[in-house]
Amino acid sequence: MLSLFAKLFHALNSESSTRQISLAIALGFIVGLSPLLTLHNIAFLFIVLFLRVNIGGFILAWGFFKGVSYLLSSLIIMVGESILTAEPLQPLFDHLYQFSLFKLAHLHHTYTLGALVVGCLFAIPLYFLCNFFIEKYRIYIKAFFDKFRIVKALKASKFYSVYSQVSGQGALS
Amino acid sequence: MSRFIRWQGLASFFIVIALIVTFVYFFADSLVKKGIEKSGEWYLGAEVNVTDVEIKYAPLTLSIEGFQATDPEKSTHNLVSFSQASAGVDVWQYLFGKIYISELNISGLRIDQPRLTAGEVYISSSEGVEDGSEGADESGLPALDMSLPTVDDLLNNSDLLTIKHGKALEQSYQTEKKKLNDIYEKLPNKDSLAIYNEKIKALGNTKIKTLADIEKLNKAFKALKKQFKADQAIVKQAEKQVISSKNLLAKQTKTLKDAPNADWKNIESKYQLEKVDGADFAHLLFGEQAREYFGYANTVYQTIAPLVKSSKVDKEAKPSIGEGRFIHFYDETPLPDVLIEQANFSLILPQGEFAISGKELTHQHWVRGNNSVVEVTSDNVQGTGELSLALEFSLDQSHVLKSDGKWQLAKVGLKDVSLQESSAFNLKLNSGLLSGNGTFSLLDEQLDSENKLKLDNTQYTGTGTSHLSTLFIDTVQSLKTLALTITAKGKITGPSFSVSSPLDKQLKKSMMKQVSNKLTDFKTDVKAGLNTKLTQALGLSSEGEQSFFDVESLINDTDKALDNLMNSDVVKAKKKVFEDKQKKKLEDKLKKKLGDLFG
Repeated sequence: MLSLFAKLFHALNSESSTRQISLAIALGFIVGLSPLLTLHNIAFLFIVLFLRVNIGGFILAWGFFKGVSYLLSSLIIMVGESILTAEPLQPLFDHLYQFSLFKLAHLHHTYTLGALVVGCLFAIPLYFLCNFFIEKYRIYIKAFFDKFRIVKALKASKFYSVYSQVSGQGALS
Repeated sequence: MSRFIRWQGLASFFIVIALIVTFVYFFADSLVKKGIEKSGEWYLGAEVNVTDVEIKYAPLTLSIEGFQATDPEKSTHNLVSFSQASAGVDVWQYLFGKIYISELNISGLRIDQPRLTAGEVYISSSEGVEDGSEGADESGLPALDMSLPTVDDLLNNSDLLTIKHGKALEQSYQTEKKKLNDIYEKLPNKDSLAIYNEKIKALGNTKIKTLADIEKLNKAFKALKKQFKADQAIVKQAEKQVISSKNLLAKQTKTLKDAPNADWKNIESKYQLEKVDGADFAHLLFGEQAREYFGYANTVYQTIAPLVKSSKVDKEAKPSIGEGRFIHFYDETPLPDVLIEQANFSLILPQGEFAISGKELTHQHWVRGNNSVVEVTSDNVQGTGELSLALEFSLDQSHVLKSDGKWQLAKVGLKDVSLQESSAFNLKLNSGLLSGNGTFSLLDEQLDSENKLKLDNTQYTGTGTSHLSTLFIDTVQSLKTLALTITAKGKITGPSFSVSSPLDKQLKKSMMKQVSNKLTDFKTDVKAGLNTKLTQALGLSSEGEQSFFDVESLINDTDKALDNLMNSDVVKAKKKVFEDKQKKKLEDKLKKKLGDLFG
């Protein structure tokens, strides 16, 4: 766990692309909201591994948003229910239902579809928000926090030594 | 390109997928085993054990060995257990969110079997399921829970109306007799009347010479008449007393004559002898058993109904909170959410081994338009008995469960079946041969069932604590064949039972025949005793009546004699004789004087 956090901090502090980190968090958000074993989660896992997305950030975001999903379950189900029972969409779903892939992906399940729709919708603003904050962090917040004694104390901690090993640096730049 | 793509990530993806597949392949058995145990424990609230689970993938078949589910209400026993089960599951349908089992086989299915070690119970069941014996109607028992007293005890009972009215009559007789005796003493007797006659006679013999003599005679007669009037007043009083006494005794005699019938009615009511005619014998004997069996049916219904009804799925249903739901759309070959196309169970009960087969088992019958069909057969019920049961059921979209079925039973040997254990009597069916058939239908929890049973070659043993219950047992023991019709109607959780039978008539007839001698003897003895008491009391009354007649006749005679005495005109007669004499004297005197004058 410490390694994961260390990797995330390293990514945040390194020259890694902010988009890579933001995309990891956005994808972690989508996967975290959805039930674990779904077809689209496997697809997103493929994207995470195949594209240069920050894996540490993805895993942490996944875990975090999995917890958040329990709080949002009512909203997610309501969204899925509304879409699947909307009269104008019935012909579309009747048509999609004839495809095994649709049923295999459990997109006719209120929670699964709701989670995918909510995840995809909010992943886009989340991506841009993360971009914005990571950039601000690198410019202002990191320098601001470096001045604190507690940060200096942290540098002497085990966490920092792990972080150093992962990043391969002796000190924060 | 390599700026965006991580080729080693592609390898990682396949490695991860391969790891997942490998994990599932090697650990699926254990995962499913744990899944069955945990979900079973969650549902039942008691320990569930599975010995082994095996999954075969082509085609996907799930095999379960040694399943035991602890009874939460009796942790030393299993609610249900089976030795082996296998289910052929359609993988695609499972992945599409449906459970489609083409064939389910369960062998060695047992109910209420003892466990090797007591199972853990996680929640105590507060809902008591009716066990069938609840509400057993024992109202028929008190009718027979009385013992008849001996005739002597009964006749010595001071509460008997015959005795009460007999004593009252005797007391009245004594009182009236004393009153009459008192008056009798005052009445002029024969001697007094003879003296009066003598006196009248003496007055008649009085020599009248002068008018002064007549006056003297008249005075003496008036004095006598005064005495007669006084005596007549006593006679009138006596007459009144006799009439009053006669009326009182007649009234009490009538009441006494009616008393034995009233007493017998009271005896019949107190000792419930009339109930012998109206007793519901069939219900008394078999009502509890019928309730018990319908109680089992209710238990099965209560266990299955929530499973069937709670999983209804349709587009109008409100969104469920927590897990969501599948919504199915138009399909050329629609399938319910859960469907077991063919199921075969081998159920082993203490009563025998039953083969149960089910077709189209689901809770969404409207999807394919087929009813679920269940058949139960056995050829070793209680040893040699044969059972066949066929039922169909379906649940429509508005949750209404509809079921129809029929059953047939033949050659079922019954041994040592306790029919009655109460304070009144114990009755056990030692042996008998049961056969029967019946139908049942269920529509929205409303049960309508009619079942006909026949018991042949019956042998009973029993003991009774009263004359009547002993007689009842004797009668049942004398019957070799019994026919019963048991109907159950109303809500399945508490149907109303009716147990009717030619047995009732047969038993009543037979029992009446049996009891008639003892009861008739008893009745005759009691009635004879009552009549003796009546006769004794009436004997007293007759004696009194005779003495009343004697007194009455005496009074009448005395009254007549006094009247005669009063009306005896001795003074007038004497006066007339005196006047005639004087007239004659005057005529003779006149003739003499005229003779002298003309002669």
